[in-house]
Amino acid sequence: MIGEYIKIALRFFFLVVLQLLVLNNVQWSGYLNPYLYVLFILLLPFETPNWLLIILSFLLGFTIDSFSNTWGMHSAACVLTGFIRPYFLKIISPRDGYDSATRPIIRDFGLEWVIKYSLILIFIHHFALFYIEVFKFSLFFHTFLRVVLSTLFTFTLVIISHFIIYKR
Amino acid sequence: MRNLLKILYTYHFLLMFIALEVISIIMLVQNNRYHSASYAVKAKAVSGSIYSTVSDFKEYLSLKEANKALAHENAILRNYLKSNYGTFDTTKISVNDSIYKQHYRFQDAKVVNNTVNKQYNYITLNKGTKHGIKPDMAVIGPQGIVGLINGVSENFSNVLPLLNVDFRVSARLKKNNYLGSVTWEGKDFEYCTLKDIPQHVQVNKGDTVITTGYTGSFPEGIMIGTVSSSKLKDGNFLSIEVKISTVFKTLSYVSVIEDLTKEEVTKLKTETEK
Repeated sequence: MIGEYIKIALRFFFLVVLQLLVLNNVQWSGYLNPYLYVLFILLLPFETPNWLLIILSFLLGFTIDSFSNTWGMHSAACVLTGFIRPYFLKIISPRDGYDSATRPIIRDFGLEWVIKYSLILIFIHHFALFYIEVFKFSLFFHTFLRVVLSTLFTFTLVIISHFIIYKR
Repeated sequence: MRNLLKILYTYHFLLMFIALEVISIIMLVQNNRYHSASYAVKAKAVSGSIYSTVSDFKEYLSLKEANKALAHENAILRNYLKSNYGTFDTTKISVNDSIYKQHYRFQDAKVVNNTVNKQYNYITLNKGTKHGIKPDMAVIGPQGIVGLINGVSENFSNVLPLLNVDFRVSARLKKNNYLGSVTWEGKDFEYCTLKDIPQHVQVNKGDTVITTGYTGSFPEGIMIGTVSSSKLKDGNFLSIEVKISTVFKTLSYVSVIEDLTKEEVTKLKTETEK
């Protein structure tokens, strides 16, 4: 159990560093900005209590914010994602619920489930993030295109990470 | 009381969600305005040193282009060398004396962090209060305008660049001196918008847009960009799309400009505008 906590802490640290030093520099033509750090929220265990989940989400967003001059933007988007996750999990839960030994990964629930789960939550996060950043609706479709393209990009990275971290 | 606790317990998730969102929004609103980057100064001291290591590495990757740009700038500067010009006659020299009263002081700085893909982009430079950088100083690049100094820590400074929707600078068309103001719409990092030009002004594609010297400590005549298209907006004024001359994506060295007469000018202004 302690090992699991250390693993989660290391994952937090690694994803934040990766995001700040590498992925924030990826900015193809202003449309594609991957925010892979949401993978941390996606991979938290099912039995994480709700209050801890939302505090961890806030901390994650706050850490990203404080190093990239975007006060509040990532925090707000992460808190929203963390808030929606338990409800969304309930909607897409398998017939016999979630076993405490399982984790939200391909080996336990299959590729299709992971795709559905990751894609929707990443979309929610990116949608919130980009619209908070723009803070107006006058460029609605332009922003929406950015949301969709970046979501697909992040999603691809998430699935690749799944295959790298949890080799079959 | 027990009921209250019960309600708090039942809805603790929703309440925490609302509380944390409110905190985020407050941070967002308070800290993302012009002149309020002071909050970020402390984080900057840490992130600045990390970013400067990363940028040292990235510099190697763009060494070729940086060399090219520097060589080009050198060539332009050599054109201004005194030795390039003939001798002055005596009358001219006495007139030119006033030039030696320096108006602007330039200082070079390296870009250690830079974004172009957000609405509120910022640039971090590797010079700070230690090197005499102060808020509101102008920053220019080899190809033209970059932005204004916004927050300063001991070793690093934060620039509010043209590519930030909060940025605004007064500008004019070089050929006929009509005044306007330049802002960035947040859409494309290669184009900004020149507003407040009256509709009767003939604007052609390729016309040069330069600074006026009214904003911050920008000297007059710094290149902003060239006109790429114009259309009528709100009745009497044109909204002109300007192709930005500075290539923000590959920006690596900039000059910070200090206006040596600024104190005197502001003093005069406050005295007379009472």
